[in-house]
Amino acid sequence: MPLVDRVFRSRRLSPFVYGALALLVFLALGALLPNYLVYLAITAIVATIALIGLGIVTGTAGMIALCQLTFAAVGAWIVSLFTVLQVPGGYLLWLVAGGVVAGLAGVVIGLPALRLRGVNLAVVTLGFAAAADATLLKTQFPGAPQGTKVPRPEGFTDDRGFFVFCAIVLVVIAVAVHFLQKSRFGSGWRSVAFSERGTASAGTSVRLSKLSAFAVSAAIAGIAGGLIAGQVGTAYPAGFNTIQSLALYVLAIVSGSYLLEMALFGGILWVLIPELLKRLGIPQDWGFVVFGALGIQALTTNSNLGQDLRNAVTRRRRRRLQAAGAAAESGLVPLGEEDFATALTTAPAHGRAPRALLTVSGLSVTFGQVQALQNVDLTVEEGTIVGLIGPNGAGKSTFVDAIAGFLPQHEGTVRLGDDALDGLPPHRRARLGLRRTFQQDRVPPSLTVGDFVTFISRGRATVAETAEVLEFLGCPPAATRISNVDVGTRRLVEVAANLAAKPRLLVLDEPAAGLSHEEHVAFGQRLRLIPARYGTSILIIEHDLDLVRSVCGSITVLNFGEVLASGDQETVMNDPEVLKAYMGETEML
Amino acid sequence: MLQGALAGLAAGGVYAVVAVCLTLMAQLVKVINFSQAAIGMFGAFIAVTFADAHVPQWLAVMLGILCGVVLSGVIGWIIATWLPEASISARSAVTVASLLLLISMSYILFGTKPKTFRAVFPGPAFEVGGVVVSQVTVVMVVLAVAVAIAAKIVLSKTGVGTSLRAIADRPVAAELMGVPVKPFAIGVWLVTGLIVAVAIAIVAPTQTSDAASLSLLVIPASAAALLGGFRRLDLAVIGGLALGMIQGATAQFPELSLVRDWIPLVLIVVFLLWNQRKEVWDAAR
Repeated sequence: MPLVDRVFRSRRLSPFVYGALALLVFLALGALLPNYLVYLAITAIVATIALIGLGIVTGTAGMIALCQLTFAAVGAWIVSLFTVLQVPGGYLLWLVAGGVVAGLAGVVIGLPALRLRGVNLAVVTLGFAAAADATLLKTQFPGAPQGTKVPRPEGFTDDRGFFVFCAIVLVVIAVAVHFLQKSRFGSGWRSVAFSERGTASAGTSVRLSKLSAFAVSAAIAGIAGGLIAGQVGTAYPAGFNTIQSLALYVLAIVSGSYLLEMALFGGILWVLIPELLKRLGIPQDWGFVVFGALGIQALTTNSNLGQDLRNAVTRRRRRRLQAAGAAAESGLVPLGEEDFATALTTAPAHGRAPRALLTVSGLSVTFGQVQALQNVDLTVEEGTIVGLIGPNGAGKSTFVDAIAGFLPQHEGTVRLGDDALDGLPPHRRARLGLRRTFQQDRVPPSLTVGDFVTFISRGRATVAETAEVLEFLGCPPAATRISNVDVGTRRLVEVAANLAAKPRLLVLDEPAAGLSHEEHVAFGQRLRLIPARYGTSILIIEHDLDLVRSVCGSITVLNFGEVLASGDQETVMNDPEVLKAYMGETEML
Repeated sequence: MLQGALAGLAAGGVYAVVAVCLTLMAQLVKVINFSQAAIGMFGAFIAVTFADAHVPQWLAVMLGILCGVVLSGVIGWIIATWLPEASISARSAVTVASLLLLISMSYILFGTKPKTFRAVFPGPAFEVGGVVVSQVTVVMVVLAVAVAIAAKIVLSKTGVGTSLRAIADRPVAAELMGVPVKPFAIGVWLVTGLIVAVAIAIVAPTQTSDAASLSLLVIPASAAALLGGFRRLDLAVIGGLALGMIQGATAQFPELSLVRDWIPLVLIVVFLLWNQRKEVWDAAR
């Protein structure tokens, strides 16, 4: 493989390569663009930066934020103020300070809206935009009434120079955001957009994820605002008003600005459409009408230009791969009896005296008048697999929710080893080593399998470990997009990722739903290998009694929220009460 | 102070009316309609345009209101057709786009300068202890209370109300039972469009009447709706009236002019914190 090819394929290097290439293009543009276009190009670059920030909140984390230009105003305000006060350090430092202060403003504005859904954030941000707008109109920017000019950085003072400066800032931010998106933070943002419960169960704080997305977005907007102050010299409120923030939000949706190149595309549209209208002698307000109409179109069809383009590219690439016969087959295949026996015996034995890992005592949950769980006791010993079964509505999933921390109002105590879990939020319990999977699909389709494993394991699984656990459960390879994986297999990916987190206890809520019979058998075999292989004990909720029989040493049966029977498999399965609950009275006669 | 508070009551009335509409929309068609006030604004501007063209004022106002109803119906139709099962966020985002579209459209059609409206209800109604209460104030407060009570009665006592609540809670089940979900949803949009267009037409002469200011009346209105958690109509009315009076009272003190702009936001934040004091997750399970 030639060197160029290798550099471009390398996941770690390619962002820098693309960044450097983009910078070269910008340098060329800075030298070649006609004078009157340079100023517009600066506007496009600044808009791109603001859109990159907005993309994190709207595209990646799935929230509605309507005050991006207000955060930009904060950045511009700081830069203007520092100019008036003649704070030492110069423009670049002021720019960073503007970003930091805007980020802090983001934290303050974001905090109250965090625990609720995106719509509330929309209300808060719109309120913030309008209030700040009104205040700025009255106070103006520092130094504006006196006509103080914000000095541009040394060596970049003319428009062409400042264009290059802005381009450098853009490239630095784009590369940084690329790595952030790829990091666990980025996966957390995507995960929170898909499911808050899933995020919390991965040991990631939902609040922190949302807040970090919002703060990063605001900080980037602040930097964009500082650049605007440098561009225009004296900032005026008209450049940062509420309507423009709305337009920028809509543009972020239309262009799909969580994709970096699409943010650039959006930035270009931001100046191109009004400019074209001006050339044609059409009022420039039509620009926002166009944005609004495109926005309605994009939102109602749940599509955007960026994703459409990317999908087209991946489709082509996949077709090429398939043509080359590279379509990888994966799937869960049962081990032969001999292989399985060897695997079981070669697994390192614990040899320790059995110790209680999960101890639940007196667990009760009430929803209004309904007693969902009454005084439930359950113990899982280290290195074992315990089954929790019962008819529909017996309270099994409520039990899982309660021990995982989603029902803080429950009574009774839950201990994991020596740690008392009572009162801890779900993400803290997950970090202490209690992981769970969900009955519903909670695997964010926007991630790859590998990113998902990294996210769920909180970065603990190495590349080799990830590959090993994926192969163990017959999952597709790490580079596969989850959106291309069928729902049954997604459940296996979920189990594999949680295993990679090496929890002390893994609670599986109907993991085998959606698997074929053959896969069921294979899955049961794998489960039996898990305690010795990964040091993880398992509590499994399952309707398929064959699977339960084949893997569980002891079983607890719930019926109408109470423990009906509990003990080793043989005793419980032959208990007449259990048979009655499952088969009904008449069957017994 | 009292003078100011009473003067703010007219604005409070329009906040309350819009808040009631926002609450109805949030409950019945699962959308926070950011373009709620903009729809009324557009109708009011149409009315002014017709009045300027020497159409009799009553007819001009009627045409403006009709325009608001149609606009609201069109947005409702778009959402009901393409996003029948989308989340509240996704639907509300559409109304952000339509808010942008309506404001910029009105800049094109009517210019960016504030408009002079001829008052529909001119002059004072009565005096309390030397403080004049205008007709607009009385009409707005009555309208707000009447709309809330009428909505409550329709929803809880009539067959239509039962269908609407069924659609709100279980759209698919309602559809399977033969309730015409889409027409009903669009109907809700038409009715709220009508209410808001009437309210803005009445109150526009007393407000800062440029397109953006009128459209952003939705912010104090959503603060009021949040007092009722986008669920309770009575609290939405009380919140709207109280917010108007607080703003009116602070207007008496020039030194508070900066603070005044932040009152809606502060209330929004306070109500949000109150509403979310219990743990909330995005899905029931």
